[in-house]
Amino acid sequence: MLSNAPFSTAKNFWYSSIFWLIISMIAGLVVALKQISPDFLYFQGADGLNFALTYAHIRIIHTNGILLAWLSMAMVGAMFYMVPKLTRTPLWSERLGNLTALIWNVAIAAAVVIIALGYSSGVEYAELPLILDLGVAVLAVLLSINLFMTIAKRQEKQLYASIWYFTGSLIWLPLVWIVGNIPSALVGGAMQANMNWFYGHNVLGLWFTTVGIGQIYFLLPKITGKPLYSHKLSLIGFWTIATIYVWNGPHHLVNGPIPVWLMKAGIIPSLLLIIPVWTVLANVFGTMKGVWHRVAEDVNLKFLVTAAIFYMMACLQGPFQSLMQVSAVVKFSHWVVGHAHMAPFAAFSFVCFVTIYYAVPRLTGRHIYSKALMNWHYYMSVIGFLMFAFTLWIAGVIQGFAWMDGTPFMETVDTVRTLVVFRAVGGTLMIVGQLFFAYNIWKTVKSGTKISSEENVAA
Amino acid sequence: MVERSALAIYIAAIVLFMMGAFATIILPFFDPDMTTPTANAEARNYAPDSPEAKGRLVYIANGCNTCHTQYVRPVKADVAMNLGPVTVPGDYVYDKPHLFGSNRTGPDLMWVGSRTNAQWNYQHLKNPQKLVPGSIMPKYDYLSEDDLNNLVSYLMSLKPATNAQAAAFNK
Repeated sequence: MLSNAPFSTAKNFWYSSIFWLIISMIAGLVVALKQISPDFLYFQGADGLNFALTYAHIRIIHTNGILLAWLSMAMVGAMFYMVPKLTRTPLWSERLGNLTALIWNVAIAAAVVIIALGYSSGVEYAELPLILDLGVAVLAVLLSINLFMTIAKRQEKQLYASIWYFTGSLIWLPLVWIVGNIPSALVGGAMQANMNWFYGHNVLGLWFTTVGIGQIYFLLPKITGKPLYSHKLSLIGFWTIATIYVWNGPHHLVNGPIPVWLMKAGIIPSLLLIIPVWTVLANVFGTMKGVWHRVAEDVNLKFLVTAAIFYMMACLQGPFQSLMQVSAVVKFSHWVVGHAHMAPFAAFSFVCFVTIYYAVPRLTGRHIYSKALMNWHYYMSVIGFLMFAFTLWIAGVIQGFAWMDGTPFMETVDTVRTLVVFRAVGGTLMIVGQLFFAYNIWKTVKSGTKISSEENVAA
Repeated sequence: MVERSALAIYIAAIVLFMMGAFATIILPFFDPDMTTPTANAEARNYAPDSPEAKGRLVYIANGCNTCHTQYVRPVKADVAMNLGPVTVPGDYVYDKPHLFGSNRTGPDLMWVGSRTNAQWNYQHLKNPQKLVPGSIMPKYDYLSEDDLNNLVSYLMSLKPATNAQAAAFNK
């Protein structure tokens, strides 16, 4: 039943991740619409249904779906593709990999039901109940065994930078996960909030960021046909992330009920994060030297360069927001929601799109069905995101300053009402873009034109 | 050569992680400010089957903390919005799980019990728009009478410790 075909694991992870991408983004749109009209999807008298579809449940499904289903699965698929390529070694066990993919899908489906039934742990981004937390830990172990065994048995002795980043990510994920999901009964209060944000921040910094950068370093030389600008820079980036990122958690509680020394321990490393992001950008721009003209015709390159730029913006905005004075204005406002979408969507989802667009033709022997749809996917995603994010940033600044003036709460809600509508419009564009993506991949796999043997796949 | 040794990367990655985790996760356990309960914490240390404890579970199951924070900072906004006393880590020692929240789609609820009454909260949960025109809060009329009453009890308990409670605590 479980396939042992080469790269079947990667493909299965990607196909399921695209499914969850659509589901999770629709959940996000529902949340946006409920902020416009609280009675959206409210059915008079249907108590059970109203409970299942209440705002908070859909939001939890949105965040967990995007992070644990779409982005994590797409990235795991990427590692199952890139690690064998980079080590010139077949995956240790495709069967185990496919089993991992199967359990992962079942776990996510179970999570959707459990959250809709209200069994949330109540801890943001770690809402899944303990039983599913343990399930995720098992999945992390299964995929680590598979990838580490592949690396251990590798033919290519030199470890390329991407492998460093993947290895680090696979080590950090379980550690970060454990800290974030220690049962509330054991620690509560401010201590738990601090652990909560250690998790919330580091799952981005030591999982999505590091796997994402590993993907960039794999894709950029392949797509441009040029070697990576500087191997040394990529290693400096790796070690600075490893040293600095893990300290960042407390900056989420700046000005809040934690000791001041702890806030500072979170803020100072946040500023230093500019170093690793600079190494990535320098490497991307250095590699791009002389091939910039190709950005115009190659959608993959367009996505990749855009992702790098948004990654830089997210990592400049983040340290800025961690400052006490800035946090005092924008925290708790719509601003944060805009910021929170930039790295997961406009940086690392974009990178995953490129990985899938790059690998699927090579694995299926078929050309991408439609380049026009790829372009539409790109423009809808970028324009949708910019609209989404800028309306939230503007709304957030308005809220922040209105609160400082002591403006009655409802007055501020009224002021930003129109902006919240435009956020939903931007979000809709983002989703439409993903529908093009899903359809395009579907058609590619089903009926894309076959790549002839003498043809270059890079087309 | 380190670039060929996967094991060296594993070990270094773990050591660097542990340094940050020690500083930001383990050290706070040794800071008395983080671990010593205040009178406010005691006032929220609900007996297991009390209406407040059950109401807190309703609060979690319906994700109220998605849109409402429970912490007051010593910053201009929180003072201007008149949210009540600034909170300290010790106020939350018995909050399991913590309900800090991270977004104020709705107002902060740390001390909501001292600025509203039970009747208002009950009506407001059933139909927010009736009491607050233009509110974007969902209706919680789907909750059972018991759940609603427990939730209201919980919300009403969210207030600073009374002088008597504080005096008893300080003894």
